[in-house]
Amino acid sequence: MEVEWSLVWEIFPLSILAALLAGLVCPQVGNFLFLRRTGFYGVALPQFAACGVAFGFAIMPWWVAHVGIGGLDLDTALEDTHAAVNYHMAWAGVFTFGGLGILYLFGQKPGSEAARIAAAFALASAGTILFAHASPTGEIFVHELLRGSILVIGLHEFETLAVAFGFVALAMWWFQRGLLLVSFDPDTARVLGLGVRRYEALLVVLIGLTVTIGSLTVGPVVLFALLVLPPLAASHLARSLRSFRWISSLIGLGSAALGLQLSFAFDLPLGPTIVAGAGILLGLSLLPFLSLGKSRT
Amino acid sequence: MVPQTGSCLLSMTAASFGYGKQEVIGGASIAIEPAEFIAVMGPNGSGKTTLMRGVLGLLEARSGRVDRGDTRLGYVPQRESLDRLYPLTVLEVVRMGAFGRLRHWRTKSRGDENLCLQMLERVGLEGAHSKPFSSLSGGQRQRVLMARALVMQPQLLVLDEPTSGVDQAAAEGIRDLLLSMVREEGLAILLVSHQLEFVRTCASRALWVEGGRVTEKSKESLLQNGSVEALLAAGKKAAKEGIQA
Repeated sequence: MEVEWSLVWEIFPLSILAALLAGLVCPQVGNFLFLRRTGFYGVALPQFAACGVAFGFAIMPWWVAHVGIGGLDLDTALEDTHAAVNYHMAWAGVFTFGGLGILYLFGQKPGSEAARIAAAFALASAGTILFAHASPTGEIFVHELLRGSILVIGLHEFETLAVAFGFVALAMWWFQRGLLLVSFDPDTARVLGLGVRRYEALLVVLIGLTVTIGSLTVGPVVLFALLVLPPLAASHLARSLRSFRWISSLIGLGSAALGLQLSFAFDLPLGPTIVAGAGILLGLSLLPFLSLGKSRT
Repeated sequence: MVPQTGSCLLSMTAASFGYGKQEVIGGASIAIEPAEFIAVMGPNGSGKTTLMRGVLGLLEARSGRVDRGDTRLGYVPQRESLDRLYPLTVLEVVRMGAFGRLRHWRTKSRGDENLCLQMLERVGLEGAHSKPFSSLSGGQRQRVLMARALVMQPQLLVLDEPTSGVDQAAAEGIRDLLLSMVREEGLAILLVSHQLEFVRTCASRALWVEGGRVTEKSKESLLQNGSVEALLAAGKKAAKEGIQA
């Protein structure tokens, strides 16, 4: 089906830009999750953020009565996009960074990290449903969030996304050397005088920020797809770290573009079509190996 | 008593190291001078790696003193400790040696780029700069890590079991390379190894680590067949029994 892009752009400019921006930036963060073999974090953390948003809705009446959201009453706070977005982002942030902290603390103990992350994902998923159940408005909001309804993105959400993802992309580029060496060979990083703990903390902040803002704007499903699938596809094609970075972002961007095309052509929800787009590109990335009859780990 | 001279690259006086509440090395005293080739040997689990980490500054001394002055250190980790999932080229790995000198956003400078290529040539890997690091053989990867350490422009090079798991020819190549660095450039080398034959043919002296104590063994004692082999064999047997228990 043919899509009238000029009309789509006129109606949904922020949604298109948000999808493309997420496609470009999320894989840069996902690259580190993938290379450090912590790709499961990309799945669990957005669920923590969703759980935080649901929790925020569940306690909103109490919060408005006792703490306040910009001096607004409950009904206005629910309608006021700006205040509500800030409130939800704060809770998404608390739960994301809290989840990161818990996973880090338990990560110091022996045992299977994959199992720990799977358990965290299960608990966060259950928490999301239970907290959302406590607030009818929250239930609708969280349902839309999980569907990845990027089309309803507001100006304040887009501005926040642009600033946060711009900061993440800049920090990833500015500190690329330290982040790489600290991940690949922390002992040599220490010998060279690089502050390993500082870089580890920076990476946690960048992951947390991406997940917090991304979950609330493009949704958890799109976010974890863009964190995980493009680096995985790029690893099949890249011949160097430099090309790995470029290819993963190009695949992320391509996934967003393909998702937009599929969504508007077949009138499908945008979030899942972006994930489907990433899946198609991941499949295509395997073709050279299938045709050559060889595999890579 | 630690011998002290003006040219001493590193001195360690009655230093102890450990993890958590456990002390692994106690009262270690070492002095390392330029152009020395020192081997660190001992049974499995005796604390060789802990001592090496103390030398590198990766572990703080719990007591005693470690004086590194302005000595530039180079480090060659065990190649198996590095994840082969990273899609790095040989040159991208070697460039890491210059990361301590570069400004934040830069990953290379023209001068360092030339130095990286020179060091690759030095270790016999000229022309391999664009090859994937993970596709190289064990011996070649070890050489890449040595080139990276040389890009750090070290005065003291610390190597962790560089010939472990490489074939005889590759081990001899690594030995010749290390010896030429010591003889031609005055580089001091501290090498952790289990391979007595390798140590015998290149070390000027050896440190024996056992039961948390560090003692010095002369090259002559290393050349006396039997004594050190017996100690290493005893260490291996004790470790095996420990695992079985």
